[in-house]
Amino acid sequence: MKSLINRVKAFWLLSLITVSFCVCVVAQEPQATPPPAGPPRTVQFPKPVEKTLSNGLRVVVVQRSEMPLVTARLLIKSGGEVDPNDLAGVADMTAALLTRGTTTRSATQVAEQIEALGGFINSSAGWDSSTISVDVLSARIQPAMEIFADVVRNPAFKEEEINRLRSQYLNNLKVSLGQPGAIARFAAARVIYRDAPYGHPLSGTPESLPRIKREDIAGIHSSFYRPDNAILVIGGDMTPENGFALAQKYFGDWQKPTTELPKMSIATPVSDAGNRRVLVIDMPDAGQAAVLAARTAIKRTSPDYFRGIVTNAVLSGYSGRLNWEIRVKRGLSYGAGSILDARRWAGAFAATAQTKNESGAEVAALTLQEVSKMAQESVAETELKPRKASLIGGFARSLETNNGLVGQVASLALYGLSLDEINKFVANVEAVKPDEIKSFAAANLNTDSTSLVVVGDAKKFLPALQKQFSQVEVIPVAQLDLNSASLRRAVSKN
Amino acid sequence: MRRVFLMTVCASLVVAWVAIGAVAQTKMPQMTFRERTLANGLRVLSVVDKSSPSVAINVWYHVGSKDDPDQRSGFAHLFEHIMFKSTRNMKAEMMDRLTEDVGGNNNAFTEDDVTVYYETIPSNYLETLLWAEAERLASLTVDESNFVSERAVVQEEFRQSVQAPPYGKFFYALQQKSFNSHPYKRPTIGSIEDLQAATVENVQKFHSTYYRPDNATLIVVGDFDPKQLDAWVDKYFGPIAKPNLPLPRVGVKEAARTGEKRFTEYGSNVPLPAVGITYLVPSEKSEDAPALNMADIILSQGRSSRLYQSLVYQQVVAQSANANADLKEDAGLFYVTAIVAAGKKPEEAESALLAEVKKLQDTPVAAAELEKAKNQIIASQLRQRETNLGKSQALGDAAVLLGDPNRVNTELEKLQAVTAADVQRVARKYFTAENRYIFTYLAESTRSSSATNQSAGESKQPKGQSK
Repeated sequence: MKSLINRVKAFWLLSLITVSFCVCVVAQEPQATPPPAGPPRTVQFPKPVEKTLSNGLRVVVVQRSEMPLVTARLLIKSGGEVDPNDLAGVADMTAALLTRGTTTRSATQVAEQIEALGGFINSSAGWDSSTISVDVLSARIQPAMEIFADVVRNPAFKEEEINRLRSQYLNNLKVSLGQPGAIARFAAARVIYRDAPYGHPLSGTPESLPRIKREDIAGIHSSFYRPDNAILVIGGDMTPENGFALAQKYFGDWQKPTTELPKMSIATPVSDAGNRRVLVIDMPDAGQAAVLAARTAIKRTSPDYFRGIVTNAVLSGYSGRLNWEIRVKRGLSYGAGSILDARRWAGAFAATAQTKNESGAEVAALTLQEVSKMAQESVAETELKPRKASLIGGFARSLETNNGLVGQVASLALYGLSLDEINKFVANVEAVKPDEIKSFAAANLNTDSTSLVVVGDAKKFLPALQKQFSQVEVIPVAQLDLNSASLRRAVSKN
Repeated sequence: MRRVFLMTVCASLVVAWVAIGAVAQTKMPQMTFRERTLANGLRVLSVVDKSSPSVAINVWYHVGSKDDPDQRSGFAHLFEHIMFKSTRNMKAEMMDRLTEDVGGNNNAFTEDDVTVYYETIPSNYLETLLWAEAERLASLTVDESNFVSERAVVQEEFRQSVQAPPYGKFFYALQQKSFNSHPYKRPTIGSIEDLQAATVENVQKFHSTYYRPDNATLIVVGDFDPKQLDAWVDKYFGPIAKPNLPLPRVGVKEAARTGEKRFTEYGSNVPLPAVGITYLVPSEKSEDAPALNMADIILSQGRSSRLYQSLVYQQVVAQSANANADLKEDAGLFYVTAIVAAGKKPEEAESALLAEVKKLQDTPVAAAELEKAKNQIIASQLRQRETNLGKSQALGDAAVLLGDPNRVNTELEKLQAVTAADVQRVARKYFTAENRYIFTYLAESTRSSSATNQSAGESKQPKGQSK
């Protein structure tokens, strides 16, 4: 070890000479300005085609054959939003259990058979849908589809598998609850949605998971897993004819129940100044503070959707305002950004960064200040043009892989939007004007009604935060309760 | 987030090491690349793919965190961040103006052996970005205030990747203590103190020492005309002189391990204990590398893998279990790790990991299981190559780390040729008691009580010592 240090030092001395040498060379004749771009080529994305089977299953095929890969994804149009209040996590457990054994295949057989094909199969619930996805070499799609259809249609939900999955979820939750960023996300959902759906953790709480019984899981499956509540999207190296034939073969005889599909209508709370909270979760051993500003936002089907995502693109991304102010200008974080998560019912807007505990209050102030500016001043065209380009580029890159392509198409199908929106994305983004951004922000991102959650070592940032906000709630992490809007464990009566 | 530091224990990285070729049932598309070397030593590799109007550019510099200067751990990675600041003709953050602002993106990563910068851009901006990459190779400039601010960003990155996540310190210690003399013992992210000590002068020296055309490989994949590419490369990179000095190379050899060592680490935020075992294994260029990669897949790829089936599914002693053949240029580590399930003891997870290792030594892998592992490798390689960026990085791995770009097409043949006897042979050769270091990670709050605990007792000093 000693000899290494000496050797490296010696090289450093030598390299001093190189510095001046390099400078001389550079002094030759570098071109001082970047060469301009050539003429652009236009982009074309694949066109999805669709068909509905007689049992009501909507099938979408999107062909792209450069690589011998296929992704098949089945969406059930119900997700964590249907979790009963005391059974947080039941929709996600139901989805995850599909691959943990069917009436004819054990959990291990499902994994072995799919993986022997070089494929993988995943299932989980989101807020508005539950998803089962298989990814496989196109030459092996037939045997993969057989397993795929089996797990969707014939899950066994064995007690043994339920208990095993429950303890896995409890262990995972323990790990998540050791991370300030994850705690901030869980707490912020309760702050903005309170006791309404979307307020609970999707994969349950330490208290809800033990309450979930087999009949709850089987109930979710029989109520919502039915062809008239499902969409099958097949993407990649697959012609539409073959895709439709596969769908017919493996899902054509999937019976639609005679019962009515349960109708859901959820009134999510609206963030206003009256219910705004500034909440600190004190985690004395946190290695960093997680700062999160959050509020309810728009539905995915809102006419304001494109105004919303362009507004968010001005704030977020590497050169977005949040990262620019917090990381690039001040070195306060490894990354700051925001998300506009539009859902079936009112979604969420969240701006977030992690920073050293000492700068928690400063980052909170900067975050809210940048969000609030969006409603005060119009964005200059010179700033807006590159932010739109960045948003469009990110969308185009998301379509580069089969998985990404299927994901975008599935999302449009889920919300009942035109599948052709893929090819209108560029025009829709370009059409958004600076004054529309300002009015969108004024109506939807008012910081007086935006809540703030900071998770970290409170003694290092609380005094500074209390100077900015008159009312700051503090909850020690040991008393955090994710089951109710108060977020505070009930104190015993005496 | 961008300008990322790659954690060593990262399952997806494993897949990047094993490569490509052809198999009976599914033919891997061969990558047809062109190779040329300029007079100044710059190697240029390119692949035309006009399926979308975009292009990926990589510049691989053969310098990594093993080349961090003395007392400056984390410096190669900090330097990577500085490469996005100013050059003679570019203001700070201009790289973002030329990429993000026109719908592209950029990033970079630092590993033990290499530092890689990359962009994905609409193809009509190719010339612009070649100019920009040549700029930062030839004439990086840096001022004090940009340097200080970016250093603070990297310190936040340290906090975010090592201090804030529950197992950050555990994986940090695994690498740090698994090497005795090779500079691989310095984790890429470095330390807050060493980063704080870094200066602008260090940056200038590092650039002139390692950022030279004969230490760089430029890779372009996507929509371009090859003749036009050659002309642009000649124009912008051709004039950069090759320095007339030798390139420093790490010559330290990590000596063979001579006996088991045990370490106990403590963290303030440990939701569940963790255990890890490392074995010292040879370089990724070694003849044994394909069989070690195969052992990794068999142990840890997917829910049918041995560690998942045994530790997570059947015995329920682990919340998660993983293996990783982390093969580097000079030497490698084979990791098996587990996060201990609630209610179970670290000793139980350790025995379960060791039992799986022993099984690989005692019994040849069944034909169907080996076939499954080979199919998993082909499919993951195909997925990596769906994008121009993925293709360019596969080519860079082969050219720079394996030493021959043709290995992008031949490596999978070697993997396909691995036999059950090969896996058993490498397991017996490397996964021995003399060659293992065993780590236990516990909550700080258990420290006093564990002093009476047999395995932790002798190694509770903060630095961790051998038994």
